[in-house]
Amino acid sequence: MVTTAVLEIRDLSKRYGPVVALDGASFSARSGRIVGFLGPNGAGKTTTMRCIFGLARPDRGEVRWRGVTIDRDARLRFGYMPEQRGLYPRMRVAEQLSYFAQQHGMPGKRANAAAGRWLERMGLADRAKSKLEELSHGNQQRVQLAAALVHDPELLILDEPFSGLDPIGIATMTEVLHERAAAGVGVVFSSHQLDLVENVCEDVVIIARGRVVAAGAIEELKSASGRQHLEVEIVGSNGVWLDDRDDLTLLERSGDRVKLLVDRSVDLDDLLARARASGEVRVFAYQPPRLSELFMEAVAPDGAAAEVA
Amino acid sequence: MPRWRSIWLVARREILERGRSRGFILSVTFTTLLVVGSFIVPALLFGGEKATRVGVVEPAPNALPAAIESSAHRFDRPIAISTYPDATAADAALADGAVDVVVSMPTDLSGPGRIRFDKQPDQPVAQLISAAVIVLRVQSVLGASNVDQAGLAAAQQAPSVSARKAQTEDDEARFFLANIGAVLILMGIFSFGFTVLTGVVEEKQSQVVEVVLSTVRARDLLMGKVLGIGVLGVVQLFVFVVAALVASLVTDRFALPSATPGALALLVVWFILGYLLYSTALGFLGALASRMEEASNASTPVTAVAIISYFVAIFAVIDDPSGTVATIATFLPPSAPFVVPLRAAFDAIPAWQVGLSILVTLAGIWILFVIGARVYAGAVLQVAGRMKLRDAWRAAGE
Repeated sequence: MVTTAVLEIRDLSKRYGPVVALDGASFSARSGRIVGFLGPNGAGKTTTMRCIFGLARPDRGEVRWRGVTIDRDARLRFGYMPEQRGLYPRMRVAEQLSYFAQQHGMPGKRANAAAGRWLERMGLADRAKSKLEELSHGNQQRVQLAAALVHDPELLILDEPFSGLDPIGIATMTEVLHERAAAGVGVVFSSHQLDLVENVCEDVVIIARGRVVAAGAIEELKSASGRQHLEVEIVGSNGVWLDDRDDLTLLERSGDRVKLLVDRSVDLDDLLARARASGEVRVFAYQPPRLSELFMEAVAPDGAAAEVA
Repeated sequence: MPRWRSIWLVARREILERGRSRGFILSVTFTTLLVVGSFIVPALLFGGEKATRVGVVEPAPNALPAAIESSAHRFDRPIAISTYPDATAADAALADGAVDVVVSMPTDLSGPGRIRFDKQPDQPVAQLISAAVIVLRVQSVLGASNVDQAGLAAAQQAPSVSARKAQTEDDEARFFLANIGAVLILMGIFSFGFTVLTGVVEEKQSQVVEVVLSTVRARDLLMGKVLGIGVLGVVQLFVFVVAALVASLVTDRFALPSATPGALALLVVWFILGYLLYSTALGFLGALASRMEEASNASTPVTAVAIISYFVAIFAVIDDPSGTVATIATFLPPSAPFVVPLRAAFDAIPAWQVGLSILVTLAGIWILFVIGARVYAGAVLQVAGRMKLRDAWRAAGE
């Protein structure tokens, strides 16, 4: 499936007094794809999202939507779930959703119908007339998600959507995100739960100190990573069959089994031949690094981070 | 989506959410009861201008009732006369409260007779009856002599009574209305302006404002909020005025001045202008706060200006409605809403000054709104602590 970039973040920079929140961040999101937006606290994720919605004005750079500089009408087609969750506590749930749908330009009747549909989808149809504050925390989170979705957005921007959710909530959220992406919606969400991101997303953008340090499809990033995992078990070797080499790092040794970090330049056939020469090879498993390792590598402050275009 | 629709949606939400709230319904009910009560309770207690009931003990001079009536008429006092066969029956009626006063007098006018009250003598009533008794006796004495009857009648004519600068009932009512108007404007500013203030802080506190501002411009949000809550303010004012008009018609206690329609129109116009000015100021000051306590601190300058303006209006205008202070205050937006209706009540403001004052106030509202919207936009997303006005202004900079 060919998808083109719908949202382009170009060279965004923003300072708050002495604090540099964004320092030339650039990336893009495509329709029908889910992008995990990762970065340590204070890396600039929330500021980027606020710039997308015009809630913060970048000092430099721009946000483009379908090839043109973003404007208010374009933003009405987005759905937003800010990190600081919040809705009107004393407003009835259905009216609240309908209000947000109308503020996104939906006519009244369609907005009411959409509100009803999403409450049904979230399993809250019987709470339509309740005030938000009468709902449990988990149900309030569901309403918050529905508020971001009720107007059928073409792009979803979600700041930490999984935080505070129980396993059922996480399952619902994952399902909804996949369903929206399948319907052609572009999804960008930030998260610190990297295992979850690995399951949910195809693409990631990693940001650190206001700059994008890695971006692309997770699989490509993994295979492009300079370091891969290798696990080898040779019966009776007690782990001592390795030469001291620059391109191999011993991570762990337990009995006959060793875990290694190998540079991509290493000739695996040669390595396997040498292992066989040392004894009976029971395990020889070559694995790409996990997302969390890619992340740690990318955000490492020593400047050695891999820049992947 | 056009901006007016966005503003309208915000305003409609405010109207629906707050208009249905218990607080608003209670406050409308309470004011209505207060207004109606303030008309009906005195009417029940004092019964307005009830006739003084006079009991005349038989036998009495035939001319006595007519003389009392004519004397009462001269003193502009309604009176109802009944007769009792003897002093005992009359006393009993006095004790029962069937009459307010009992008069007895010898038929041959040989003595002045007696005026008896139940507990406390009512001096004006005593004097008007005394006058009637004295006239009867003087006439009978002089009638027996050869006095010129026409001359006698002329000599008994009372002096004419007037005032140098007669204050008609109309003037009085107009002044009364203007005073109520100033109080209503002050109350409107406080109750509905503070609703705007708390609404802004609540949106910030519940953090919904970030979701809202992802679609609605900060300026439109502030405007919609001010307009929506303003509609509720006008509704409450309307209920208040209708309740007062109906109550005054029903109890027939208070003559509405001839200038009522004009005065009411002026009251409504200045209520709206005053509300818009002060609630805009309160709205953006509220955005600087992140908690309710901070908001009330932030609003202190605005409330101080409102109260000072009110007292300037009351004291300066009543002292000299066309004086320098009153004229200057007419053209200052914060004081104009209080001063102009009061000056108009005294008939001490030319039409051009009313017009110019409205224009100046509208300009003031607009300037405040432009400044306020920018501060609001800069401050409303700042959630930690109280923000300085200058920082908010910069935060929203281009």
